Order: sequence, then C-alpha cells, then structure tokens
Amino acid sequence: MSPLRRFLRTPEAFAGAILLAALIAMALSASLLFPGDPQAIAGPAMLPPFQDWSLPLGTDRLGRNVLAELFHGARTSLAVGLTAAAAALVVGAVVGTLAGFAGGIVDEVLMRITDAFQTVPSFLLALAFVSVVGPSLGIVVIAIALGTWTGPARVARAEVLSIRERDYVAGARVIGMHPLAIAFREVLPNALPPVLAMSSVIVAAAILTEAALSFLGLGDPNRVTWGGMIAEGRTVLRTAPFLSIVPGIALVLTVLGVYLAGEGIVETTAVRRGLS
Amino acid sequence: MSLLAVSNLTKRYRRGDKTIAAVDDVSFHIDPGETLALAGPSGSGKSTIARLVLRLIEPDAGRIDFEGDDFLALRSAALRARRASLQMVFQDPLAAFNPRATVARVLDDPLRIHGIASRTERPRRIAALLERVGLTADLAPRAIHEISGGQRQRVAIARAVATKPSLIVLDEAVSALDVSVRGQILDLLLDLQRQERIAYLFISHDLGVIRAIAHRVVLLDAGRIAESGDACAVIDAPQSAIGKALVAAAPRLNRTTQDAS
Ligand SMILES: Nc1ncnc2c1ncn2[C@@H]1O[C@H](COP(=O)(O)OP(=O)(O)O)[C@@H](O)[C@H]1O
Ligand SMILES: [Mg+2]
Repeated sequence: MSPLRRFLRTPEAFAGAILLAALIAMALSASLLFPGDPQAIAGPAMLPPFQDWSLPLGTDRLGRNVLAELFHGARTSLAVGLTAAAAALVVGAVVGTLAGFAGGIVDEVLMRITDAFQTVPSFLLALAFVSVVGPSLGIVVIAIALGTWTGPARVARAEVLSIRERDYVAGARVIGMHPLAIAFREVLPNALPPVLAMSSVIVAAAILTEAALSFLGLGDPNRVTWGGMIAEGRTVLRTAPFLSIVPGIALVLTVLGVYLAGEGIVETTAVRRGLS
Repeated sequence: MSLLAVSNLTKRYRRGDKTIAAVDDVSFHIDPGETLALAGPSGSGKSTIARLVLRLIEPDAGRIDFEGDDFLALRSAALRARRASLQMVFQDPLAAFNPRATVARVLDDPLRIHGIASRTERPRRIAALLERVGLTADLAPRAIHEISGGQRQRVAIARAVATKPSLIVLDEAVSALDVSVRGQILDLLLDLQRQERIAYLFISHDLGVIRAIAHRVVLLDAGRIAESGDACAVIDAPQSAIGKALVAAAPRLNRTTQDAS
C-alpha cells in the first residue's frame, strides 16, 4: 500500500488532513475571495451571522466583515506558525548537530545556552522579546522561534551523538572530508527524522503562541489575526459572543488539524521504516 | 626506508577506576607494496591500532612515521590532504557508507575532495574505478543498500583506491563475506597490489586468509606484540603461546599442516 493511502486510511490523520487542507485553502484564497483591506468597514456594526448573505458571519464592533477577517487571519496564523516552526527546527537542528558532533567545549557552551533558553518559559520569552523590540510579523516569528528551538536542538544532539560513532563517519574522515561537511552533509540528514517528527507539535504551539501574543495586543497591528479578533470580541462578549467564538473555533480546529495530520505522517513513516 | 613505521605506540582506555592498555608499546613497519597482517584474538587491540594509524583516535604515547613524515604532527588541512595516501576498508560494508548514499556519490567524494578530477570528468573516473574493481559502470546510480555485500565491498575498495593511496588499512575486510566472495576479493586485492604497488595493513583473525595474502604477520595478545615474522613461517611453526592457540583454533589450517607433515 502506498504511504499516502495508508495515511488517509487512519481516520484521525484523514480528519487532520481535511482540516489542514481547509486552512490552507482559506489562506491561499483570502485575497481572491476578499480583495482589499479586510480591516475596512463593510457594513453596519455588530451584524449577527446568517442575517445578510453578503456578510455571512456578520460584522464586528466596527462593521468589518468577520468572514473576510477569518480568511485573512488564517493566512497570518499559517504564515507565522510555519515560519516560526521552520526557524526553530533549522536553528535547533544546526545547534544540536554542532554540539553533538564537535563535543568538548563547543558542546558544553552550546548546551549551556540551550539550558538558559529552556529555563525561561517560552511564552514569557516571546512576550518579553516582542515588548522590547516592538510588534511586527518578523519579530513575532523570531519571538516564537526563540522559545521553541531548544527541543529540536536536544533531540538532534542526542541523535548525532549516536550517529557520529558509526563507521561511515570514520569513513568520511578517512577520505579527508572537512568536519563541517561531515557534520552537515553526512550526519545531519540522518539525524533529521526524529527532529522532523516534532514539527507538528511545534507548528501547533507556534500558532497558539501567535494567537496569544495577538490577543495581548502584541501581534502585528497591520494584520488581521485570530488572537486579535478574539481580543476585540471580548469587549462585547455579552452582546455579541460570536465575535469571539468564531475565531476561537477556527483556532481550535487549526491546531487540531495540524496536530492530527502531523501525527499521521509520523505514524505512516514510522510504519514504513519499521517494515523495511 | 619503510612506508609506515610505528614505534612504541600506546593507547589506554579507562574502564571503571582502572585503565587498560588496548595497545601497549607496539612497534612495526610496512614497506612499500608489502602486506603486513595483524592477527590476534578478539579484544587484542587490532582495531585500535588501525584507528590510531588512521588518526581516527590519538595515541597516549608513541610515534607514527608515514611516507617519511611525522604523521602525528599533521594538523587539520595538512592531515586531510595527506589522507589521500592512507585509506581504509571496513569490515561491514553497509555500515561503512552513509545509508542515503549512492555508489556514484561514494566514489565522487574522494575525487572531489582531493581535486583529482573536474566535475565533468568525474563520471568517467567513477566508471573506470568501478570497472577497475570488477563491477560495471551501470551500478553508479544505484543506492548503496540495493547492491550485494560483495559488490559493496568492491565499491569500498574502489573508494579506497580512488585517491591512489600508498597504504590501505583493511580491518576484517573479508570476514563478513561468503567464502566464494572472499576469495574473489582477496584476488582483487592481490591484483591491485601487483599493479599499483599499494601496501596493506591487513587485519584478520583468520590465519588461512593471512597465509594467502600477507608477507609478514604480527601476532597480538592483550595489546602487546607476542610474535612477528614471515607469515608462512609464523603460521606453520608458531613460537608464542598465543600463536599456538590461534593455529590450533583454525581447523582448516590444521588439516593443511597435518597433510603437509
Ligand atoms: N572506545 C573505547 N573505550 C574503551 N575501551 C575500548 C575502546 N575501544 C577499544 N577498547 C578496548 O580495547 C581493547 C582492544 O579492542 P579492539 O582494538 O577493538 O580489539 P580487536 O579489534 O582486536 O578485537 C578491548 O579490550 C576493548 O574493549
Ligand atoms: Mg576489531
């Protein structure tokens, strides 16, 4: 059976894939379906959902189209979640590989730095970083990555420690390969699978962290974010609860979708490796 | 002058609170184009000597002269450049290659690293190397894990000779192979030695194989040299206790010596 078929046969993975596909479709179609500024006023304020079919999910306190905001928010969530997770995985894999492969003083220094980052709760770190540097999309990405690269770094280091004792690494030294080439061309690619297996959890956590930062008003002010929408809706929670509930549900489904699809991928690749 | 001269080489490992000498004051030399065998029971320090000679680990004491230079004094770039002359073939040809590698990549690496052939020229060189070790050029795009154990060991030998070394260290290089494949690989090694005057440091616990390929032999026991000399002379009439024990433990050999007497 092909890995894709096996992946789609597990119901959780299938559900995750559907959710993720919907999210990606939303993100990609946002500016096609809702061109122009999603933060522009589109109708009367606080229009409830399902009243006006040109504004299916109604409008918020300022009369902005909630559906348009939701689509554009999907874009921000996905962009921040994926880039922050990718940055964390790349930095973690590089630091872990250098530490594990070089050993000695290099390992010692890099792992002390990793410890230092790990002792600070990652959300506090992100909060402090954005507060100091100021909110923009790039800064939010860096802030989230700062708190998440340590996990991948530890996993990569542990894997590299076992791989560097293998004969093929000795073989690479014997043919005169440069140590950095050995570390990144020969060792790192073989250390990646367990690191990549963490990516679904990291993407999900990054999306949540972005939402939390936006909720606290520390997101990029020029972009619609789900966290920002929830915060906005909170002020009128009694009269218009849907303004918080709609982006809240979107967030939950997104995190669930990323997590389920990620686990499904890990599962199918693990099965495949187990069989061969 | 000898190609490789090892003097008073010592390597200790800490085990618990006591240190053991894996290699203890070992000296030997290899001439150009010569095969020196290292034999001894498991744990006698053969692999440690191989790794010391290749500078994969550093000795606690001793001296290694290779091609007339103090080999232990070479550092980083100079050492990497000199590695072209000193190659290795491992026991398990599957473990000796990156699991993601293809045959072509495995042979491309030494040619690229030592600037032996330009990018455009390398595919031709790789094909020639494959043919030199008795394989066909159409093996090049195959993944290392797809080919047979015997083919893999031939690729390992092709990789070792790619940089035209003067010495190849072979640590149990034929021990994992079937008897028939083993004979073919030994023939290939003898052929390469005749044509290109490569010297071998040939590590094996199989005295029959050593008798067939080596000029001289060094018998090790617990990190020390127990006996050394002409390979046939030592194997036919061992003087040391460990030599006698090793010969007694080799059944095939026993029969041939009995037949001869
Ligand atoms: N990295 C190491 N750490 C501790 N002890 C080692 C290490 N490498 C080898 N030894 C010890 O050194 C001795 C010689 O090992 P080795 O050279 O592998 O023997 P052989 O190849 O002859 O079987 C053994 O007692 C082994 O346990
Ligand atoms: Mg050994």
